[in-house]
Amino acid sequence: MVAVDYLLAGMVSMLTGLDRVAFVQFMISRPLVAGPLTGWVLGDPLTGLEVGMLLELLWLGRLPVGAAIPPDDTQVAVGATVLAASTGHIVGLNGMPLVILSVLIAIPLGKFGQVFDKLARHVNDRLALTGYNALMSGNTAKMERCHLSGLVSFGLASLATALVIVLVGSFVLFSLAPFLIGAIQEAGLSLQYSLILVGAAVLLGTTNVNRGISLFCTAFIGTLMVLWLR
Amino acid sequence: MKIMHRLHLDWLTFLRIYLRSFLLQASWNFEKLQNLGFYYMILPGLQNIYGPDVPEDTRRQHTDYFNTHPYFAPLVAATTLRLEKDSCAGDGPAVDAETYKSMVMAPFAAMGDALFWGGVRPLAALIGLLIASQGSLWAPVVFLLIFNLPHLFFRGAGLTLGYVKELRAIETVQKCRLPDLAIRLKESTTILIGVLCAYLSFKGCEHQELSAVWGFFTLPIVLLFAWLAHKGVSSLFLVLLTTSSLLVLALLF
Repeated sequence: MVAVDYLLAGMVSMLTGLDRVAFVQFMISRPLVAGPLTGWVLGDPLTGLEVGMLLELLWLGRLPVGAAIPPDDTQVAVGATVLAASTGHIVGLNGMPLVILSVLIAIPLGKFGQVFDKLARHVNDRLALTGYNALMSGNTAKMERCHLSGLVSFGLASLATALVIVLVGSFVLFSLAPFLIGAIQEAGLSLQYSLILVGAAVLLGTTNVNRGISLFCTAFIGTLMVLWLR
Repeated sequence: MKIMHRLHLDWLTFLRIYLRSFLLQASWNFEKLQNLGFYYMILPGLQNIYGPDVPEDTRRQHTDYFNTHPYFAPLVAATTLRLEKDSCAGDGPAVDAETYKSMVMAPFAAMGDALFWGGVRPLAALIGLLIASQGSLWAPVVFLLIFNLPHLFFRGAGLTLGYVKELRAIETVQKCRLPDLAIRLKESTTILIGVLCAYLSFKGCEHQELSAVWGFFTLPIVLLFAWLAHKGVSSLFLVLLTTSSLLVLALLF
């Protein structure tokens, strides 16, 4: 992977990171989008899609309400895609086992995202105060600049998270790959499906709906019966 | 255009407010949350009403604590501007802009969270995942379309509704029964989770060359994990538990 690819991945990391809270919220920050987007700039969108599928449901039920900061699944998707689409090949790994290993390494590192995000919001405390004082003294342009500077804090927080995931993740990947890759290859597709099922279970558990279990069970049994009997 | 002329704010001002609403949370902070963002969003409207020098009281009022759902913010902004305009014209609105904001921001935040974060987003994600499970790169595109069509419409409609209907916009929102819609969306999401789980169980059995009957054993496991998640067990722990169990099984058999 050349420097330009890393630069492009860094830009995707910042862009998708901004989409989480600070800018637009088109949901390009969801792993199902951020993964393929990162993969696309690295020339391997399918790997990104596989990463996105594994991660999409895991924290979907965690709502970004008020001051609550959910785990940074965006940068986990970006970081895991970079690991799977580029770094892994260095140790001679590829395919689904590499994707699964990258995701498993990136998930715990996503905790750093919460730390950096919190830091960005504290920086914004100062920016907002400066902006408020500027506005009260009649300087509207400075208030606007202060407000927009918040984008820099959020963008840098996202980039820092992705960097930690890729750098620490690469080290862990190189160290663990020789021991784990055999078992992951054995578990293969079952592991991939199971991780998506865990995400689905978490979403089911966090979606508060009356009759939710009945609806879920009916849909599950009905669909499986149709697939089985067709 | 006729309405716009009557209400004094031109379409360009509305467009600027609409575009600025995308930056509402740029300086999100722990102390006053979206305060600066709200002022930044309504600034073109305020300048239209008061001229370049917005009165100090108005500046102070609209930079106070503010927090609502970002997609509902254009609705709040438009009504606020209409109240400001009426007040400026001496029409004496029933509620002043500051009181209105503090009155509606929390209920609208709850409504938006339930509808968009809890309803539309999971539903769009599951449809996207079902497409992605076929290996199609259309999955993210479909997800973005399903989510953003209502999102962008809602922002635009809120802006128009808030300005034209002023305080009556609250009644209109109530008539839309958005919380009920959110519940219907969550129910649809729950059904799609069932479909996705069944499909993955079937594919898993197919891959292992087992009868699909074995797929039914997935049901209690998913329900157990859902219960654990409901009880507050973290996703990370569940992932590690699943992975380690499967890796041990793979090594043993």
